[in-house]
Amino acid sequence: MPINLRIYLIIFALFLVLLTFSILRKGRIPEKYSLIWFFIAFIILLVGIVPNFVDLISELLGFEVMANMITAIILLLMTFVTMSLTIIVSGQKKKITLLIQEVSLLKKELEEKK
Amino acid sequence: MNNSKILIIIPAYNEQDNILNTCNTIIKYNKKNKTNYDFIVINDGSSDNTGKICHENNIPVVDLIHNLGIGGAVQTGYKYAYYNNYDIAVQFDGDGQHDVNCIKNIIEPIIKGQADMVIGSRFISNNNTFKSTFARRIGIRIISKIMKLITNRKIYDTTSGFRAINSLIIKDFAMSYPLEYPEPITTSELLRKNYIVKEVPVEMNERKAGVSSIKTWKNVYYMLNVILSLIVVRIRRYKRCQ
Repeated sequence: MPINLRIYLIIFALFLVLLTFSILRKGRIPEKYSLIWFFIAFIILLVGIVPNFVDLISELLGFEVMANMITAIILLLMTFVTMSLTIIVSGQKKKITLLIQEVSLLKKELEEKK
Repeated sequence: MNNSKILIIIPAYNEQDNILNTCNTIIKYNKKNKTNYDFIVINDGSSDNTGKICHENNIPVVDLIHNLGIGGAVQTGYKYAYYNNYDIAVQFDGDGQHDVNCIKNIIEPIIKGQADMVIGSRFISNNNTFKSTFARRIGIRIISKIMKLITNRKIYDTTSGFRAINSLIIKDFAMSYPLEYPEPITTSELLRKNYIVKEVPVEMNERKAGVSSIKTWKNVYYMLNVILSLIVVRIRRYKRCQ
């Protein structure tokens, strides 16, 4: 793997870690949601630092080119991330619906008492 | 059970041209027939004057603080019925499609204890005058066929929004109600839970004003979603009543 490509990967991984930390510091996501991003950054960093090791793994797993394995892993991860986001959003929709209904009913009750 | 507390739930989204008329027909009906139907309008975050008209005319209304869609609006009505201990809740469209004179027919089997839910059906009367688009009739028939496969019961008017339920189901609906495509889904769910569902013939009018919420180009998407939801009803586990 050419050295400049490795440098790009390392820089990107570090950038991802910094980005996640800054989001965490501002309290915009709970810690548990940041784990996945640290994990992804770690994989990218690993590829940048020890490409030979990753090459070995991809060969063992039957990938012809290491890049294919990386793409496959990221794609798989993203699928699960999106799915869990769908679950989170749906749960939230349910809760918001409940809130709107109960608040509206309460307002009606208040009006009646006036 | 002759003095059952009966609530008519009228979901309304941008129905300023129809809502007053609909409510007045119920008030007139109550006076004429000495019935005691309570009713409540669920104003689903309308952007027009639906809410204002209700308040000015002293029509009981719950103003949803944000638009929820038909499922969420109707469920608010069922919650209101549950919190206020109603025995029977009737779902009734705010656009003048449903006939107030048919309410007694759909609540009768419930009062007599012959059914838990009664669906007002356009397709089982002999003098069927309801005109609907060809695509829509085909859609309703397909849903009906799939529901037969899933629940082993033939329901003819699967998408009818003119229904009455008893207090058992009021509680059930107050707890959980699908946000989208509620009619075919809840009917199948109730059948799977072994509730008794009946269909009685009703007359329905053409819409008096406004536009129906189901648009033609959405039909295919609607069908796919309903079919998928019904399959999910089949594979889910339910606590059976009785």
